[in-house]
Amino acid sequence: MSAISVQRLSKSFRSKVRPEGLGSSLKSLIAPSYREVEAVREVSFEVEEGEVVAFLGPNGAGKSTTIKMLTGILRPSSGYCSVLGLDPSRQRTALARSIGAVFGQRSQLWFHLPPSDSFRLLGAVYEIEPEVLARRVPELVERFGIGPYMDMPVRKLSLGERIRCEIAASLLHAPKVLFLDEPTIGLDLVVRREVRALLSEIARRDGTTVFITSHDLGDIERVCKRAIIIHHGGVVVDESMKELRHRSLSRKFIGVKYASPVDFELGGLKPVKRTETAASYVVDTNEHRLPEVLRALVGRGELEDLTVEDEALEDIIARIYAAGASTGEAGL
Amino acid sequence: MSGSERRAFRGLRMKARKYAVAASVSFRERTAYGGSFLGTALAYALFVFVFSRIWGTVYAGRADIDGYTRAQMIWYFIVAELPGMALSGVFWSLSQDMKSGQVAYLLSRPYSFVLYSYALGAGKALANGPILLAIGCALGFLTAGPPPLSSAGQGAGLVLGLLLAGSIYYLLNLAIAMTAFWVEENAAFFWIFQKLALVAGTLVPIELLPGAARRAAWLTPFPAMSYAPAKLLAAWPGTGGALGLLGYQAAWALLAALACQAIYALGRSRLRVNGG
Amino acid sequence: MDRVKAYLRFLGTSFAVNVQAVVEYRANFLVQTFGMMLNNAAFAFFWAVLIGKVGNVGGYGFADVMLIWALVSSSFGLSHAAFGNVRSIGQIVQRGELDLYLLQPKDVLLNVLASRTVVSAWGDFAYGFLVLALLPGLSPGRFALFAVLIVIGAAIFTATFAAAESLCFFLGDATGISSAVTEFMLSFSLYPESIFGRGMRWVFYTILPSAYIAYVPLAAMKALDWGLIPPLLGIACLYAAASYGFFRLGLRRYESGNQMGARI
Repeated sequence: MSAISVQRLSKSFRSKVRPEGLGSSLKSLIAPSYREVEAVREVSFEVEEGEVVAFLGPNGAGKSTTIKMLTGILRPSSGYCSVLGLDPSRQRTALARSIGAVFGQRSQLWFHLPPSDSFRLLGAVYEIEPEVLARRVPELVERFGIGPYMDMPVRKLSLGERIRCEIAASLLHAPKVLFLDEPTIGLDLVVRREVRALLSEIARRDGTTVFITSHDLGDIERVCKRAIIIHHGGVVVDESMKELRHRSLSRKFIGVKYASPVDFELGGLKPVKRTETAASYVVDTNEHRLPEVLRALVGRGELEDLTVEDEALEDIIARIYAAGASTGEAGL
Repeated sequence: MSGSERRAFRGLRMKARKYAVAASVSFRERTAYGGSFLGTALAYALFVFVFSRIWGTVYAGRADIDGYTRAQMIWYFIVAELPGMALSGVFWSLSQDMKSGQVAYLLSRPYSFVLYSYALGAGKALANGPILLAIGCALGFLTAGPPPLSSAGQGAGLVLGLLLAGSIYYLLNLAIAMTAFWVEENAAFFWIFQKLALVAGTLVPIELLPGAARRAAWLTPFPAMSYAPAKLLAAWPGTGGALGLLGYQAAWALLAALACQAIYALGRSRLRVNGG
Repeated sequence: MDRVKAYLRFLGTSFAVNVQAVVEYRANFLVQTFGMMLNNAAFAFFWAVLIGKVGNVGGYGFADVMLIWALVSSSFGLSHAAFGNVRSIGQIVQRGELDLYLLQPKDVLLNVLASRTVVSAWGDFAYGFLVLALLPGLSPGRFALFAVLIVIGAAIFTATFAAAESLCFFLGDATGISSAVTEFMLSFSLYPESIFGRGMRWVFYTILPSAYIAYVPLAAMKALDWGLIPPLLGIACLYAAASYGFFRLGLRRYESGNQMGARI
């Protein structure tokens, strides 16, 4: 049975159009004009039990709206979705018992209380037997290394400490499916890595189905086995992480700056842009080994600066989208 | 006028301009964001209405209480509530500025903080006041008939009295808000201030208070913020009496301004100590 | 039965956590309580002066006015201490914060209401009992009747405010209307019924039910009449049911906040 099943799911919002100027503002008070905005358009996909899926897309692509429909927060405008065989908007409370959710921008912990109190309260909310809770909490505390923070008010925790407590809290009732919406937003690199490691562990140890949205590819590259990319409300890519990595993450952007002019020609690799002392390269790691390229660059002269970047998700999507469109046409 | 005098005069004009601009910005801000003011206006109207009903009931079969007729009592209340209502919320926003450190940013600017703040308050009051007054007058007309206004002089006295009352109210709010330099929870001070103001001259004229309370009230600035302008409209005390009340208000306004300047000077050095 | 037990445990834990919040912010609590008592004392002084001058006002003596203040203060306090979010529903909906409650396996309205306490409300709640204790004629029966009446009053306050706040599902920003409802409810509850004209008294028995929070309970307290409790309970249930239904109706239109609007 699939853990998540989504068929032609759509959601549109009606938003009031606010005109500028006093006169038209007054007019809109009496006869407001609305505009339909399609946030999610006929999205379909399936997620098997135990799968770890990344749900990607640039800001505003409809990721959050989809996750909110899957968790019962929003009612779909049309189409159908089911999670663990339940209809989220009709069987919300029943579903809530078996799913967990972490929203990076919205805390489920009580701000002024220590996490230990929030855990107690969430135990009551999820109707966890006190004995079960008494076993579960220390286990999670140990796994997430949050012992030192359990008795500090949440407001005094750093963002990284807080997010670990958030994820632990969402696992209290041992959910079968865990939804995470931008769990690493605003976190620094070190904490991001920690969160990734934790998520991998959850999936591996408990066999939990994990569904993560992010606008940052690097975030989930290591955690997820499969990626679904949406753009402008619709699915543009649904494939294994391996394929996606091969296709997109193989491109690295390297920038170098030297103290004095050097020769920028590397065997078979030409800079895409160059000045006397600086250059940038696009390296396809399927063709060139990154360590070798870097070694060669370091050997060229006295380096002042070196940067290695992934391709931005927007660019990847634009590329995939363009490629998809052209092959589509070719097929006609 | 000598050159240096002219320069000094021009400097003065530029300075005055700064505060006028501050006041007008605040004025426009108030008129643009109607939402929160609507709540104040509603509360004021409701309060006036309820009190007009109370006085209506109390005066059944009675001509006057301590020299006030029913109509005078209602008009008294309409004016007495006005300064506080027109400046409602200033304490909280000032206090917030002090606590959030917003004020540190203001301190570095080339102006007198107290004057600048006063100008902002004046802008707000001049935007809110007339609207509230209009609401009050409309309700007054409906429940008590025309206002007991008999001469242009009385009108001028009333306007002056209201301006002074608002000034004292604002400056004292500022002074209390500035205690945030020392104590985090300064709301208690404001509440004491606000409730004493309510009791000492807003809800009922000072004349109605028992002897000891009446004498005590006159030692405080509270009658200057509510009783004075309300009395000028509801029960004109003659030119001499009016000048006496206005003088009493002016004295308190000056005192309040000096208090603000002193608290600010003390608080400012404290802000530096804290490295703000 | 298990469901009921689970809900009670949930509400109990909520309440316990809320108490901790009060303890955590005890300085704030004390200041707020002090401020509120000061406010009430100012009005008590006003009534003492006025009634001292003119005898009774609209048939209400000083003790009657104080009893109304006690009833309204404790009812209002209980409503906001137990259901602290009652006047924040609109804001919660508008900011999209309802998401959290929708993710949890509990009734949304009950969950939202119970998940916060208003610190100053505890002072309001206590104040009513203080006044009751200071008024002459205190007896266990009077105390018990007062306690029951304020539970009913709190239910009606909560139902009315929650309904007013639920308007935001339909209107977007309804904070103006909601704060007006609060102002009106309190203003009408805190003054003698008879000062208002006959033409507007029907309002107190319908859309702004001050009557069931102040006037009728006052009559019950004065006569120590338990017979008024059953009808009052029925009315409270009616208001609660209507308010709950209205919230559910609005919930269908929930858009998870206006962040969408900000992006367009």
